[in-house]
Amino acid sequence: MKSLSRKNFLKSAAFLGGTMMFSEVIMPTLSRFQGAQAYSSLAQNDYPFDSPEHIIYSVCLQCHTSCAIKGKIWNGVLVKIEGNPYCPLNLLPHIPYNTPPEQAVLVDAKLCPKGIAGVQSQYDPYRIRKVLKRAGKRGENKWQVIPFDQAIDEIVNGGDLFGEGPVPGLKDLYAVRDPELMKTLAADAKAVVKGEITLEEFKAKHAAHLDKLIDPDMPDLGPRNNQFVFQAGRIQPGRADFSKRWLNNAFGSINWYEHTTICEQSHHIAYREMTNAYVDGKWSGGKTHMKPDLTNAEFVIFFGTGAFEANFGPTPLSEMVTRGLETGRLQFAVVDPRFSKTAAKARWWVPIKPGTDAALALGMIRWILDNQRYDAAYLSNANKAAANANGETTWSGAAWLVKLNDAGQPTTFLRAKEIGLSEEDRFVVSKDGQLLVVDPNDDKNPVYGDLLVEGEANGIRYKSALQLLYDLAKERSIEEWAGECGVEPELIVTLAREFTSHGKRASAELYRGAVQHTNGYYNAQAIITLNVLIGNGDWAGGLAVGGGHWDNNGGKEGQPFPLASLHPNKVSPFGIPVTREKVKYEDSLYFKRDGYPAKRPWYPLTNNVYQEIIPAAAAGYPYPIKALFIHKGTPTFATPAGNPAIEALRDPKVIPLVIGCDIVVGESTMFCDYLFPDTSIWERWGFPHVTPAIQSKTSGVRQPMVDPIVEKVKVFGEEMPISMEAVMLAIAERLGLPGYGKDGFGPGLDFTRPEDYYLKMVANLAFGDKPDGADAVPEADDMEMAVFRKARSHLPPAVFDEARWKKAIGNDESLWRRMVYVLNRGGRFESYEGGYKGEKLAHTFKGLFTIYVENVAKVKHSLTGKPFSGLPIYDAVRLADGTPVQDSEYEFHLITYKEIIGGQSRTVGNYWTQNSIMQENYVLMNRADLARLGLRDGDMVKLVSLTNPEGVWDLGNGQKIPVSGKVKGLEGIRPGTVAVSWHYGHWAYGAGDIIVNGQRIAGDPRRSAGLCPNTVMRIDQSLGNVCLTDPIGGSASFYDTRVKVVRV
Amino acid sequence: MTVQVETKSMTVRMLEDLQRALQKPMEERHWAMVIDLRKCVGCNACTVACKAENNTPPGVAYHVVIEEEIGKYPNVARRFLPRPCMQCEHPPCVKVCPVNATYRRPDGIVVIDYDVCIGCRYCLTACPYGARSFDFGEFYTAGHTPEVAAYDTSPSFEYGRLHQRQPGRLNESPIGNARKCTFCIHRLEKGMLPACITTCLGGARVFGDLNDPKSLVVQLAASPRVVRLKEELGTEPSVYYLL
Repeated sequence: MKSLSRKNFLKSAAFLGGTMMFSEVIMPTLSRFQGAQAYSSLAQNDYPFDSPEHIIYSVCLQCHTSCAIKGKIWNGVLVKIEGNPYCPLNLLPHIPYNTPPEQAVLVDAKLCPKGIAGVQSQYDPYRIRKVLKRAGKRGENKWQVIPFDQAIDEIVNGGDLFGEGPVPGLKDLYAVRDPELMKTLAADAKAVVKGEITLEEFKAKHAAHLDKLIDPDMPDLGPRNNQFVFQAGRIQPGRADFSKRWLNNAFGSINWYEHTTICEQSHHIAYREMTNAYVDGKWSGGKTHMKPDLTNAEFVIFFGTGAFEANFGPTPLSEMVTRGLETGRLQFAVVDPRFSKTAAKARWWVPIKPGTDAALALGMIRWILDNQRYDAAYLSNANKAAANANGETTWSGAAWLVKLNDAGQPTTFLRAKEIGLSEEDRFVVSKDGQLLVVDPNDDKNPVYGDLLVEGEANGIRYKSALQLLYDLAKERSIEEWAGECGVEPELIVTLAREFTSHGKRASAELYRGAVQHTNGYYNAQAIITLNVLIGNGDWAGGLAVGGGHWDNNGGKEGQPFPLASLHPNKVSPFGIPVTREKVKYEDSLYFKRDGYPAKRPWYPLTNNVYQEIIPAAAAGYPYPIKALFIHKGTPTFATPAGNPAIEALRDPKVIPLVIGCDIVVGESTMFCDYLFPDTSIWERWGFPHVTPAIQSKTSGVRQPMVDPIVEKVKVFGEEMPISMEAVMLAIAERLGLPGYGKDGFGPGLDFTRPEDYYLKMVANLAFGDKPDGADAVPEADDMEMAVFRKARSHLPPAVFDEARWKKAIGNDESLWRRMVYVLNRGGRFESYEGGYKGEKLAHTFKGLFTIYVENVAKVKHSLTGKPFSGLPIYDAVRLADGTPVQDSEYEFHLITYKEIIGGQSRTVGNYWTQNSIMQENYVLMNRADLARLGLRDGDMVKLVSLTNPEGVWDLGNGQKIPVSGKVKGLEGIRPGTVAVSWHYGHWAYGAGDIIVNGQRIAGDPRRSAGLCPNTVMRIDQSLGNVCLTDPIGGSASFYDTRVKVVRV
Repeated sequence: MTVQVETKSMTVRMLEDLQRALQKPMEERHWAMVIDLRKCVGCNACTVACKAENNTPPGVAYHVVIEEEIGKYPNVARRFLPRPCMQCEHPPCVKVCPVNATYRRPDGIVVIDYDVCIGCRYCLTACPYGARSFDFGEFYTAGHTPEVAAYDTSPSFEYGRLHQRQPGRLNESPIGNARKCTFCIHRLEKGMLPACITTCLGGARVFGDLNDPKSLVVQLAASPRVVRLKEELGTEPSVYYLL
């Protein structure tokens, strides 16, 4: 037996001091060393991870759930990743925030297999260490290693970089540099659109600057700065803020994007539109994300999602559900053509016809209204005061009156001034035959409205919003709705009855499956409407906005570092985004020139229309782009119908300069001209915000756990690992972008390394949200400071340098110690009980739900010129020009999903999971279909569609990757549907060979196993080079493609 | 009705149980596991946590989740069966070991002495649960990829010792040995729960001392839903399932 070393003795002695508090706070009987030492059975025990000096807490990003993690570090190597017990995502309930690290260390919390396997992404043998410049044609995967500084110089200065002719550098695109000029140009361009000045007047006034515009005849497109586009895939607060400051507010381009529309954007847009407040004549401020409170729910319907595989996400959600099953508190239904793992535990599996969720919801709505099973008292509350008088914190516009046009179609809400009831911009309800004025935000004078009314006033015909909804639902019988969605009518009734049998403790949850369709927004609106009918918002067991987070950007009064304003000479970009998002077509000079139909769709109600960026650039509409920066994403591989994007990226004439940063040469970054290595998520900073399924306020901090394996370089004279941040800082240094370098944040506050930015975020979190600092965390004591330093003793000064870090926050010792307290716990986490208050949730929405969405009804489709619907209609799958899609000769409906072990394109190097547990994925189909086609399990098949009749990824260089894999028969899938999981089928990302400095680096064939179906998804022929898209929410259609399954 | 707020996680409850058990001599403990199949969500976090904890190479799995689909569309069920080593009271694997390298400790854990094991693999065949693997010296990256990843050679702490497998060093344990689940003894004796327990997403797995009537594991093992695998063999597993 090993003798008790001095070190161990000191640890034991130190521990004794903390035992009392620990005992009282969390673990009454737990004191570790007594038992272990008294009766150890092992001759020696070298297991080191009972000591906090080997631990750094951080945040995962293997998926967007952002679970907090606990990194176990041995000799500088990250050897194991666990869940962080301080965080509510990882333990139910999590341990108190004041638990000292040396006691918390004994508690490993939950983490899903993807998170655990992160070790294998961190040490992926295919990670890039140095800067690569292409040495062949685009996409040929021939590379030369070049010095970082050379790459930055070439990118900034341009020139004949590849022997293919001149390439513009970023300096050429950095056209408008003066913030004042930017502001004036923006204002005058707007005036031209509005007709307040003529184009000629604009040109005369700005004659000296016309060369700085993309098109002097269309000044509203903005400056040439906009021709530099940043396209991020998975990016979160922290990096998102860092890169927006750089691209938007320093370089002056408006084109910053993340990947949301290939994820679940229409769901966010539907939530936002239905929860917008009406203030000063505008609909704004809606919540983009709400979730059931699964810890108290009695009944939940999961539409196109679940709790155990993807969503937001299995680590936090699973036990909330299984505890409910164990105690009998919870029952649930899963609406999914595939019998998911969540469906395996469900009371009801609803194998719906893909994309018909609105029909199912409308069938339920019909039954709920026919049988008056809605919460009439709730829905009658027409404003805040009425809600509060009834013990509610949310209210609805169900009773509000909507005007009808001559055709009897709803248009906008009736305004009180239109019928002479008020001078102000107010809404109207009908109560006992009287029309009453409604100010939705009035918290003093309750107004109640009758729910099912119609009538006429001042010659204006109207119906209440609920009446309109009822009329819509009554367009079909329950049997007919059931026929549309392929579900038994009795099941619709059962679901509707169950949903309305639990008071506020029921909810309808939705995610990707319901919304990645061309009708995705309406599907989402229909589903969310179910929640409004029972008024479950803010109730325990109902619909939650979640605990939220502390403000890392310093936007709250009194916070130490208000980052948005710590930006001298900040510019405000202007112009039309290349995706034509957040702007109405009718408010553009293009509209004045072309009218309807627009050449390509405009997306005024959404943003981050990821799939449209490269296709828009290829089409040159609204303008061509000159430089693209791809960051942690794969726009060709992860987007439906990627072949046209591959074709565009291959051609340097389409986008002359493509740069990227990635941890491995991926399916899209292989098309870069310059590819920078990036720091992994275990090597860098981040400030993710978490799912509303979590009711405690949560601010995880991602921080470096190990020394990055990438090359270190000097930027602004400081050593740092190559990363997205280093690239941006180096370009800022070369171009002299405002807000960087000496005094970059203001006098005395330099911005010369990433930590100068991120530590200010940590400081803001540590200070908290109260102006007087009353919300600040405690200062770390000397023992915690020692733990903090020891745990980072393996990190070199380029990664951790305490003196330099303190300088980044102005050498404030007290603040620094509070930051250490946060970093020692991996973030800031409110107590579990802090999330609940009586029968309600503690963190509440306190706002309005509308079931008629005027803000959408006022917008016209940019191709057809017809208005969108304010109601959750059941709409056909359509091309951008409005043509319905049939493809009935293709017999199978293709859907995708993710196994819990897989995350899109980037978990293929996780051999513990994507090789040991599951070697490949399959084309899954119902056994009856399998038999009908004469196929057997394991037969190789290919998927083909109308727009990809060959069923291939076409890399354009003669190389074609067939979309083929083994077929597998199941009972748990709707006949006529095929499902393919989405995390296999690589040809890059370590799956194929690449040439670096003339030497072949062989790919690993295990990584090319299985298939990725995305490219057979349908191209929108009315546009030619992009997938089908929801015109309202912008979601890329993953689930509207019909395919044939062909034996190969 | 005010909502009931949870006050203690299962993990913390089990840590308390563990701490009590560690205060007794090893002979008085009987480590056991209860897996509630109703709460198993088939996520395989246990399987992967085990791989990471014990650094098991390709072909070595101490733990698996067996999955099956039953029924006919649309009346379908999917069942998940996590399968660690059963830590039998009468372990068939022990009886067949020609060199007594594998034995049952007084606390119920069946262990392998890597220094004694000759790699004959009789025990693999003898185990009715398929819970043992042989370490052929495979690596995830060595032999497959341009470089050897750090995780391939970083240590496992099995039995409290630093085992660092190295490519090409096929004579060094645990390469060439039979390998199996140890209930993470190295963690237990540092006052920590087994890796598969702490990471269980559904909260389906419970661990503790079967000799401690106050422990959660004893309460659950007394459930009428309890079964053990292949009871008829008389192996007396220390792993219980709740159906």
